[in-house]
Amino acid sequence: MSIVPKETIEVIAQSIGIPNLSPDVALALAPDVEYRLREIIQEAIKCMRHSKRTVLTTDDMDSALNLRNIEPIYGFASGDPLKFKRAIGHKDLFYLDDREVDFKEVIDAPLPKAPLDTAVVTHWLAIEGVQPAIPENPPIEAIVAPQDGKKMDHGKDDLPVDLKLPIKHVLSRELQLYFDKIGELILLRPETALFKEALLSLAKDSGLHPLVPYFSYFIADEVSRNLSNLSILFALMRVLKSLLSNPHIHIEPYLHQMMPSIITCLVAKRVGEQVSDNHWAIRDFAAKLVASICRRYGHVYHNLQSRLTKTLIHAFLDPSKALTQHYGAIRGLSALGPSVVRLLILPNLETYMQLLEPEMQLEKQKNELKRKEACRVYGSLLLAAGSCLYDRLRLFPGLLSPPDRQPWKTNKKIALTHLPKNKRKASSTLNSHQPPTKKLAVDPTGANSQFPSTDGPATSSSSGSNPNHHHSHNSSNNNSSNAGNTTNTNTNINNATGGGVHAQRVSGSAVLRQAWKEDMDAGHLLSSLHSLFGEGIFSFIQPAEMHCFI
Amino acid sequence: MEDEDIEKAVLAYLRKKGLNLTELALQEEQSRLSSDASHSRSQNVADRYFDGYSRLRSWAYNSLDSYKHELLCVLYPVFIHCFMDLVEQGYMQEARTFFHTFREDHEMMHLRDLQKLEGILSPSHLEEMELARFLRQNKVKIRLCQYSYGLLLQFIHKKSLDMLGVINQHINFEVTPGQPTSISDDSEAVSLVGASQDLEREINQKELHWGLLEDSVEERMEKALSDSDKTEVEGNKEGDPEENNKKKTDGNKQGTSVSNKKKKDKMVGATGKTTRSETSMVSVAPRVKSELTLPQLPPEVELSIFEDLRNRAQLNSLALPSVSFYTFRHTHNGLNCSAISHDGSLVAGGFSDSSVKVWDMAKIGQPGRASNSQGENRSMQGMHSLASDEAKRPYSLLQGHSGPVYSVSFSPFADFLLSSSSDNTIRLWSTRLNANLVCYKGHNFPVWDAQFSPVGHYFATASHDRTARVWSMERIQPLRVMAGHLSDVDCVQWHPNCNYIVTGSSDKTVRLWDVQSGECARLFIGHRSMVLSLAISPDGRFMASGDEDGTIIMWDLSTGRSVSPIMGHNSCVWTLAFSCEGTLLASGSADCMVKLWDVTSSMKALKTDESISGPTSRLRLLKALPTKSTPVYNLRFTRRNLLFAAGALSVGS
Repeated sequence: MSIVPKETIEVIAQSIGIPNLSPDVALALAPDVEYRLREIIQEAIKCMRHSKRTVLTTDDMDSALNLRNIEPIYGFASGDPLKFKRAIGHKDLFYLDDREVDFKEVIDAPLPKAPLDTAVVTHWLAIEGVQPAIPENPPIEAIVAPQDGKKMDHGKDDLPVDLKLPIKHVLSRELQLYFDKIGELILLRPETALFKEALLSLAKDSGLHPLVPYFSYFIADEVSRNLSNLSILFALMRVLKSLLSNPHIHIEPYLHQMMPSIITCLVAKRVGEQVSDNHWAIRDFAAKLVASICRRYGHVYHNLQSRLTKTLIHAFLDPSKALTQHYGAIRGLSALGPSVVRLLILPNLETYMQLLEPEMQLEKQKNELKRKEACRVYGSLLLAAGSCLYDRLRLFPGLLSPPDRQPWKTNKKIALTHLPKNKRKASSTLNSHQPPTKKLAVDPTGANSQFPSTDGPATSSSSGSNPNHHHSHNSSNNNSSNAGNTTNTNTNINNATGGGVHAQRVSGSAVLRQAWKEDMDAGHLLSSLHSLFGEGIFSFIQPAEMHCFI
Repeated sequence: MEDEDIEKAVLAYLRKKGLNLTELALQEEQSRLSSDASHSRSQNVADRYFDGYSRLRSWAYNSLDSYKHELLCVLYPVFIHCFMDLVEQGYMQEARTFFHTFREDHEMMHLRDLQKLEGILSPSHLEEMELARFLRQNKVKIRLCQYSYGLLLQFIHKKSLDMLGVINQHINFEVTPGQPTSISDDSEAVSLVGASQDLEREINQKELHWGLLEDSVEERMEKALSDSDKTEVEGNKEGDPEENNKKKTDGNKQGTSVSNKKKKDKMVGATGKTTRSETSMVSVAPRVKSELTLPQLPPEVELSIFEDLRNRAQLNSLALPSVSFYTFRHTHNGLNCSAISHDGSLVAGGFSDSSVKVWDMAKIGQPGRASNSQGENRSMQGMHSLASDEAKRPYSLLQGHSGPVYSVSFSPFADFLLSSSSDNTIRLWSTRLNANLVCYKGHNFPVWDAQFSPVGHYFATASHDRTARVWSMERIQPLRVMAGHLSDVDCVQWHPNCNYIVTGSSDKTVRLWDVQSGECARLFIGHRSMVLSLAISPDGRFMASGDEDGTIIMWDLSTGRSVSPIMGHNSCVWTLAFSCEGTLLASGSADCMVKLWDVTSSMKALKTDESISGPTSRLRLLKALPTKSTPVYNLRFTRRNLLFAAGALSVGS
């Protein structure tokens, strides 16, 4: 009838020393026992509520018994909830595990650690109704609705950690293996033939798209970690290049992750472990990579190139940056095309040259390494300026043919507006090119150092080396006039640095005069460049044009 | 009698003849017959109840849809009274079976009552258990529309005469003409309390002066403002309601000086800005005289209140408060209660190891300068020497109770602290001296709650002995004893005008008591489980109460009607607090949430259609702020409307 069976009453009676309780008594007692139990539990629940708890403890029972003026049950006081164990073989029989404890054990045991004292800490649960995301508050995901949560994940796309989680399940075992293998190759054996095969596979295989986020993360990660390890950097850049060239991969969304690592390779202060490492090569490689990316995605992301050039020009114009960084910046800029060079490098060329020159002079820069670096920079500048000049001149293939004048006029006008700037730019740009074009470091430096004073011997010596070069291409013009012209222009320019229009007009033949008139900017460019670089620049001029200028 | 005589004669005859075997056989047969009769009789009774009830039940469930919910209301009282009838007549087994057969019909609405009633196992329990006694003694009142009543009568007379007795004996029908009441009217919630409804009505018809104290600090503040800056006075909107309210309150509380002042206000206010009108909800309330002698405020305290009021952040449904949370760590499940002083600088915790600990948060912020700041600190001057030996502890330990501390409460200016304990006493502590000042003995059972009045000096306590008491600090005997609750008084709260206290009880009701007369002035019935927390809006008109199930009910004190029962939380609502203008209600719960509710919108709806009693307007949830597994024990708005919350970090649950 009641949930307390009469057997229980009998057992309890026996335990308190009433051996033969009549069944009637037990039957009558059972319901009352249940009622009293309920009563006490009800009181215990009240105590629990007033202790601001939602879990009933033995303490609550004790205080409920106290309320009823009953002796509490001793021996169950414990901070932890009691653990009941199920008796084996019985479905709903539970018992408390009450082990016998040896006194000696208790006495010998080391004192337990004192519990931490109660403390109050304070934090902002909300500021003007908005819950700040601080560790004291529960994570926001728990609060917001699921679709909001998704949105957030989407927003955090650039955090690779977030990306990995959802994709991990989709990635097949084969792809995982492939990824692991490539990673291993990059890090451990970048020189092997196998790696070349891998690059080919990366550049051609379809179905690699799921791996792109991993690769982009991997590359970014490894680049930052392995800045001192050239071979790995090279391998990583090659992988990047392969990925970029893979027609099956839609790499655009990950560009923003890849660009920083490429630029790092390009303009990092130190790449490679030793200074002797050929870090110039990786800078060149990275420059080409950057340029190719810009060409491919420049039209999709309009600010891609502008951001890139901003970064690079910043590196270039900061005199506190190392020469290696300048080199990288120049390479990067020049790889972006002659117009970039003309707009960004040439205007700053002259001032920059003034900085660079002392670095290249044997007397002023004792550090061999620094001087070498300076020469490198000089070479890169020369190359950039030269290619720019070449590009300009190439616009006038029919320089000598009058009918073609018309279209250029417009061209000229535009260019004219830039003219004063251009010149200065040009003059500073070209300086760096000599070392790479000519392996003789002494000669160009010599030419350079003499350049401001425009010594006769210097020009002649340089012209002596240069004309040979031109002659091979040139058959129609004779040697002497060529050489004479060179000297002429040279002197002219040098006399009137900057606005040498008059000088040129005076000195040139009729044809040449025509050319100067028509293409003043080109002429100016050439002249100013020449003034800065000497004859080194002439190697970039096509023979035909060369002739009409000279 | 005849039967007996014949029997005796037969037996005597048999004995005389020595026919012993025949005699035995006869006796045996007789006894068997009699037991059969009694058995069949018991069977009959039980079956009658069983059949009668089940017939009524199936009929009610198959009745017309629009009247169904009214008829279903009848089932529950019939059910419990059938059960109790069976118990009363001693058919325990049958009663049990009956109870379990139909129990689940009512579990949703009346689970807690059922759990209690389930414990009734003998007729004597009926007498002993308060709930059962209460139910037996009082008639349940059920409101039915004319047609439902007719249907019910028809059915009972035709098919279920057995139930007629039960229904007649225990149910009072209140037949209303016209359409049946809508389902949303929570008639079932009140159906149980029955006759107490009459009591409720009777009590709730008493006059109640819910207005605020005249000449309160807020008022003086505004007065000062209007004096100092004539352009910055109350808007004209504010003047009008005050005028209205004056009429309402029969003018008996409005002194001439007040109305003079108001005239002046109105004159200036006609051109004044309306910006303040919205915020000064407090001043809209009518003014009442205090029936208690109130302590004088020291001028410097008044100044600081002025300062606070001037810097008060305006809160509404768009501008939510900032919440600062005090987390108690390493409490080892020992924290029973907490309190925060008016400015949030002091935090007190009452522990089950009978200690009270007080943290000075200003000091904790700069532990390095702790010793210096003690000297400077206004409240710490007296205890310099005492503090030095307790410098190691970041808190001051108050020991004196001999049982778990169930509540702590700061006096309005945080110079005193009250604690109540299961040792039946209330202790008054000085926060300046960190020492016990008085021990108040009077309750006979654990004191669940103790609260300082808004002006200090007086305090109210609630106890397991089913009484609430009002004390003053200087007397060790209570000034008033409020008796009337049918079970423990679990929580107590002061009305802002100090003329009333409200108490929440385990009997699921909330009562409002007149402090002066000690009489119950309002009875609020509507909760379905024990009431754990109370809060009264600053304008003194509304009250919020929270219970064990997570329900929050807003009440209109003047009418005694509930405004909006809502399932605010999933678990016990430990604490409630109104913002200073009464625009927001904050609730803290065991489900580790602080929730902010929009009071204004629901109250506005109520004010406009006061005549319609339907609790259509509901509290609107503005924001739920979850904590990191920290049940919220205490909430407190400062005068500047910063919300402080406190709770103990519960580990591993």
